[in-house]
Amino acid sequence: MKRLLTLIRVGLKANFGLSVIYHRLFKEKKDRWLVPLFIVALLGILPAFYGILLLIKNLYLILLPLGQERAILTFAVLTGQLLILLFGLYYVISAFYFSKDLEMLIPLPLKPFEVMLSKFTVIVVNEYLTVMAIVLPVVVYFGILAKAGPAYWINAVLVYLFLPVIPLAIVSLLVVGMMRLINFSRKKDALILIGSIVLIMIGLGFQFFINGSPGSKHNIEAMSNFFASPDSLLNQIGAKFPPSIWATKALAGRFTGSGLFNLLLFVGVSLILFYGILVMSEKLFYRGLIGIGEISGRRKTLSEKEMSRKVSSGRRPVKAIFTREWRIMNRTPIFLLNGVLVVVIIPVIFVLMAKTGSGRGGNAFILKILASAKPLYKILITAAFLIICGSLNGTASSTFSREGGQFWMSKVIPATTREQVTAKFFHSYIISLMGITTASVVAALSLNLGAGALAAAIGLALVLALALTAVGMIIDLARPLLDWTNPQKAIKQNLNVLMAIIADIGILTILFFIIKLLINAGLVGNAIILVLFALLAAFSYGSCYLLLKFAKRRYREIEV
Amino acid sequence: MIELNHVSKSYNKGKVKAVDDLTLTIKPGEIFGFLGPNGAGKTTTIKMIVGLLKPDAGTISVNGLDTQKDALRCKEITTYVPDYPSIYERLTGLEYLNFIGDVYGVPKTERLARIQKWLEVFELSQAVASPIQSYSHGMKQKIVLTAALLPAPRVMVLDEPMVGLDPRAAHHMKELMREHCDQGKTLFFSTHIMEVAEKLCDRIGIINKGKLIACGTMDELKKIDTEAGQSLENIFLELTDK
Repeated sequence: MKRLLTLIRVGLKANFGLSVIYHRLFKEKKDRWLVPLFIVALLGILPAFYGILLLIKNLYLILLPLGQERAILTFAVLTGQLLILLFGLYYVISAFYFSKDLEMLIPLPLKPFEVMLSKFTVIVVNEYLTVMAIVLPVVVYFGILAKAGPAYWINAVLVYLFLPVIPLAIVSLLVVGMMRLINFSRKKDALILIGSIVLIMIGLGFQFFINGSPGSKHNIEAMSNFFASPDSLLNQIGAKFPPSIWATKALAGRFTGSGLFNLLLFVGVSLILFYGILVMSEKLFYRGLIGIGEISGRRKTLSEKEMSRKVSSGRRPVKAIFTREWRIMNRTPIFLLNGVLVVVIIPVIFVLMAKTGSGRGGNAFILKILASAKPLYKILITAAFLIICGSLNGTASSTFSREGGQFWMSKVIPATTREQVTAKFFHSYIISLMGITTASVVAALSLNLGAGALAAAIGLALVLALALTAVGMIIDLARPLLDWTNPQKAIKQNLNVLMAIIADIGILTILFFIIKLLINAGLVGNAIILVLFALLAAFSYGSCYLLLKFAKRRYREIEV
Repeated sequence: MIELNHVSKSYNKGKVKAVDDLTLTIKPGEIFGFLGPNGAGKTTTIKMIVGLLKPDAGTISVNGLDTQKDALRCKEITTYVPDYPSIYERLTGLEYLNFIGDVYGVPKTERLARIQKWLEVFELSQAVASPIQSYSHGMKQKIVLTAALLPAPRVMVLDEPMVGLDPRAAHHMKELMREHCDQGKTLFFSTHIMEVAEKLCDRIGIINKGKLIACGTMDELKKIDTEAGQSLENIFLELTDK
């Protein structure tokens, strides 16, 4: 047990870089400038947080007279668990199979379940932080609004602690099984990618299944039955993922028979699945893990002709660096899943949600509003959709971090900073373009826009994407994460990616207010689009200029 | 030619002096061996020469060009091999060599001839089409060396280049180092293998706790401490023990 605790402690320290943070903040005092920046970022999201609290309160007040207020809890828990189910996949694959420390852990006298358990615990702690923003405000504010007693809070702590266990255990069992099979094959990278896509599709299918839950009975009898029980809405929301219902009932029921029973059910199933992981890890974990890193390259001497064909006749440095970026991104499964795949999947998720939400408000309602909106709003909302789909990937904001230990090569090769940054910019922008293209197809198919309106929206998104790409790169350049041992850290757990998303939201908010000003100033639709286009073009030019200036300085400063 | 002029570098806000007022000149056509115990400042010095670290004080020039002010031109004539071959594992060996050839602007004919020559010497011809990920440590070291030789640089800076090489490759390595310098080019390398330094180097520098404590030809070093004996190992042990 002591050995396991040590392993978990070391795992947590390594994962969160606690020792490094301490060293940089208090010993080297290098990163102290980040503290005020972090506080400003936190203050920046306070208005959004206030908005969320207001939304919870309003929902609570609407549902309270109907006796359905508990459904808010179900919604929060379900959303949190589904997020873990979907994104946990990345964490599990990379932590269980691609952490560099595994090479050091395997030869140690540790049992497979101990190694896996330490990794699992690190992911669970990570997930506490991930779902904190969604689940905690709801659970806490609900407790305050309902004037809940100690029983609610005790159950709330237990529910929160066990919240990630069920979805993560499900993902872990699937992944460990999948990796055991993949390890038989020689094409491991390709299989990991295909396996991951299949698992994501299963997750999306599950989402589809949930949203497609019943609710078509609109007769009076059904309606009266619905309001007769305080659990009707929560049962409907959580119908396809019962743990979220158990969690809600445990919270709402407090220390009553029903509350304790559901708490027991929630914790019990979590523990059973957890035990399942332990058993499975002993049997399958190492068999799937050992040798997964072995890549059996075909050993073949190239003929004179082949060699002559394959030896490049000389690309310009920008093209050579771009090719390097493109190849490394697409050949590293974790990078590919987070880059190209994300930009393609987000619009598809939107379509799925829009389709399944029909008849029960939600996205279909948004689509209806959009259809009847003024042309200007249609263009702006579509442009916002395109830019979100194009920019919500970590490609730009991890472009330097992804180089990791190989950054030394960028420092010693005779390519100017301008050439290196230009190549990286093109690469990140092309990924954004892929997102904008997929989203444009989705928009064209589902939003009933005219060709002119769609073209205007695409134009705005393309120009803004230039700026957001540059901003993402500037953020990563300010503090690139180069000492990672697990590629996941460079993109998925990279604070720069989160900072870039916050910056993007900030930029979009400022644009929202600028548009409001323009509308209030009495400008007509086309004029607003033109002014906005000019503004965005200037902003993009400024951002790119700043990026080049900053890169010139940072490439000199960054020491490896 | 490499010139270090009163170069210093410290870490932890000046608390740890890694390199302390180092002045050193490596002439054209010279193989210079840089020795020192672990943590003496060898890698820090090398990283400053190739531009990975910025000196706190002093100047470094390569072929008369200041490495800070004329960084790009210095890089065009210098190649570097790190102590650990951390390279693009997802590229094949040939893709990596092509990348290096592209950024150094090596023309196709020379590129093809040099790649074929070094692949042959290092016995990498069979592996070059495979991802670097599938290489052993020694093979990775060899592909980095091949990449460093590809631009036929004026100056080569190598940090412990023999680590991980099998005896045959190490033998070839020594030959090509000599060949490189016989063409009037400069080679600066660090090593822990005394025998290699003794037999191969035109001059040797010994660094300890950031300071250059001895520098010269093998004969000159022997005169510094006559009690130490005739071998470089004894001289090294004697000097770094103080």
